[in-house]
Amino acid sequence: MSMTSEIASEPSVSPPPQAESEARAKMTSRGVEVHYGAKRALHGIDVDILQHEVLALIGPSGCGKSTFLRCLNRMNDTIEGCKVTGEMTLDGGNIYDKALDVVQLRARVGMVFQKPNPFPKSIYDNIAYGPRIHGLAGGKEELDGIVQSSLERAGLWEEVKDRLSEPGTGLSGGQQQRLCIARAVAVSPEVILMDEPCSALDPIATAHIEELIDELRVNYTIVIVTHNMQQAARVSQKTAFFHLGDLVEHKETQEIFTNPQDERTQGYITGRYG
Amino acid sequence: MQTWVLIVALLILGLAGYYLGRSRAVASADGRAASLHSVPSYYGMYVAIWAAVPGLILVLVWLSIAPIVRDNMVLSAIPPETVTAWAQEMLPADLFAAEAEAIAASGTDGLTGPQVELLMVNIVNVAAGSSFVSPTVAGILVGPAEHMNSLGELSSWGLLVIGLGLACAGLYTARRRLAPHFRARNRVESIINVFLIICSTIAILTTLGIVLSLLFESARFFGIVPIWEFLFGTQWSPQIAIRADQVGSSGAFGAIPLFVGTLLIAAIAMLVAVPVGLMSAIYLSDYAPPRVRASVKPVLEILAGIPTVVYGFFAILTVAPFIRDLGAAVGLNVSANSALAAGVVMGIMIVPFISSLSDDVINAVPQSLRDGSAALGATKSETIRQVILPAALPGIVGACLLAVSRAIGETMIVVMAAGLAANLTVNPFAAVTTVTVQIATLLVGDQEFDSAKTLSAFALGLMLFVVTLCLNVIALRVVKKYREKYD
Repeated sequence: MSMTSEIASEPSVSPPPQAESEARAKMTSRGVEVHYGAKRALHGIDVDILQHEVLALIGPSGCGKSTFLRCLNRMNDTIEGCKVTGEMTLDGGNIYDKALDVVQLRARVGMVFQKPNPFPKSIYDNIAYGPRIHGLAGGKEELDGIVQSSLERAGLWEEVKDRLSEPGTGLSGGQQQRLCIARAVAVSPEVILMDEPCSALDPIATAHIEELIDELRVNYTIVIVTHNMQQAARVSQKTAFFHLGDLVEHKETQEIFTNPQDERTQGYITGRYG
Repeated sequence: MQTWVLIVALLILGLAGYYLGRSRAVASADGRAASLHSVPSYYGMYVAIWAAVPGLILVLVWLSIAPIVRDNMVLSAIPPETVTAWAQEMLPADLFAAEAEAIAASGTDGLTGPQVELLMVNIVNVAAGSSFVSPTVAGILVGPAEHMNSLGELSSWGLLVIGLGLACAGLYTARRRLAPHFRARNRVESIINVFLIICSTIAILTTLGIVLSLLFESARFFGIVPIWEFLFGTQWSPQIAIRADQVGSSGAFGAIPLFVGTLLIAAIAMLVAVPVGLMSAIYLSDYAPPRVRASVKPVLEILAGIPTVVYGFFAILTVAPFIRDLGAAVGLNVSANSALAAGVVMGIMIVPFISSLSDDVINAVPQSLRDGSAALGATKSETIRQVILPAALPGIVGACLLAVSRAIGETMIVVMAAGLAANLTVNPFAAVTTVTVQIATLLVGDQEFDSAKTLSAFALGLMLFVVTLCLNVIALRVVKKYREKYD
């Protein structure tokens, strides 16, 4: 598959030099609006997501941050009556282009969901599922290698290496979520979207995942939706604050938490409302 | 008459007990219902149960025992002269001559079992004033009949009095027991618990009863025809010679052709029903727009509401000739009653079972699994084949199992379309017959129930039961082994 070689060559192996990545927007969004039937959920969102950065999307429930996240890999397509307008690009190519195959887009832009959703298969098959359907592995050994390296990247290898044939649903909640991250990593995406990945987990599992996000940043671009302000402050470089379908503020994480410009942002991050 | 009066009285007493108990409980707590152990209505129910239930149980027991007691009393009281007169009238002369002495000596004890039954039936008829008895016999039996009537009268009055007494005593003692700390809720709930257990036992006992009756009748059959001949014989021709000189009715009870026929037709039906049903379930659950789904699903389910006899018409008038002509066109010799026609139509009948149940099961697979798969770049068909179907497998196998049971148990379509010829063949173009069809034809019409011919129906039923039971067990094993559990 052509996609494979492209992925293999493109994401830089070197750690992200700040100045360089500034210049390279991995994904962009220009004037993106989303309608659910007659209801407008997002009003003209303009965001650049830079290579190898972690972008945190914060905001009160129903503000449109998850909707925006799901626009990035066109998961909204599966929702009845949902209409997306505006321009959204990945490496300069419009992802809402009619000619684009959404299946290939999703292989490049992976996603981790709020509730861990391992397939009812063995741990091995959970990871191998993506590489198999995309034909990423030439043989059994190569597939074994992908499974091992994905589990290693998700920090799960040591815990599960002796029981790869056991069902993925038998793991603990935190392990299941790392399994889902490993599953997303296994198809070598360029961008990983995370929709409140820690909201169903205990603090220790959360700490694990946060560490993991920081490590994954070396190879991937990450967009994470979170309700936990400390988490946003800990894991992200950029933060975007959404409110009632508007993008209110989008800047360096440190700046948004220490010196918010908008009064709504200040109110939210200081806990006055939300 | 008295029984109905008693039942109505018991219900009224129960109702009265409810209100009396409730008011007494509230009064005992000085009007503060909140300080009672249970909600006041539980006290009412407690008293109502004690007022009505013992009486109702008494009615049930009494009604099942009283007639037996009454009959025994009537029989033992008949004087030998009456029995002699009756026997002279009703029994064949030679039988009477043989038994006359014994009857004269010991009355009814001198009769054989069936003769006693006949006498009893006569007495009951005379007592009821029915015209089924000849006037002579009625004249002879007038004494015992009156005795029976008076005993019956006595019994129903006794029941009424004892029942009412029991109800009043129950109401009185239960009401006296009420006090603020009396645990009425726990008592009532444990009684309800017993009631629930009884209800579930009824279903189990019924099943047990059916199995036992099958077993006993089959045992009688296997007393006439050896079991291995039944299980492994390849000839089925259940005609027994009535006269010694009859030709061609030796009787052969080899069940193999029937089981082969049953399995052949069921297999053809499943070959039609499983792919069609499963594919339409997949379409309905994952591809069809909601509007299409909302209208197509009920239409599919209408198929399940068509009487099987109508499918039988369809099979014999439309499908069978079509298949025969088609076969003739390509040079195949297809019988007019072919297993193929019956199997195909049966498959169509089963489609809604599989599609509707599978559709529900597939829909029950969480959306999060579909999303998870889609987010990995899987196409819809990859998601369905590799995630949804494995997750839904136990339910789908369950649906197929139900369908197999339907296919094996189905009678009407096969009677009409596949014929009665017990050919031992797996050729789908030939006429075959099935176990259920044979059971139906064996028992249709006036039959004596002690010949091998009719008893063989029970043996076939037993075998059918064993086969479906084995299928269920195997399928459960398969499901357990391959199920992929999701939360």
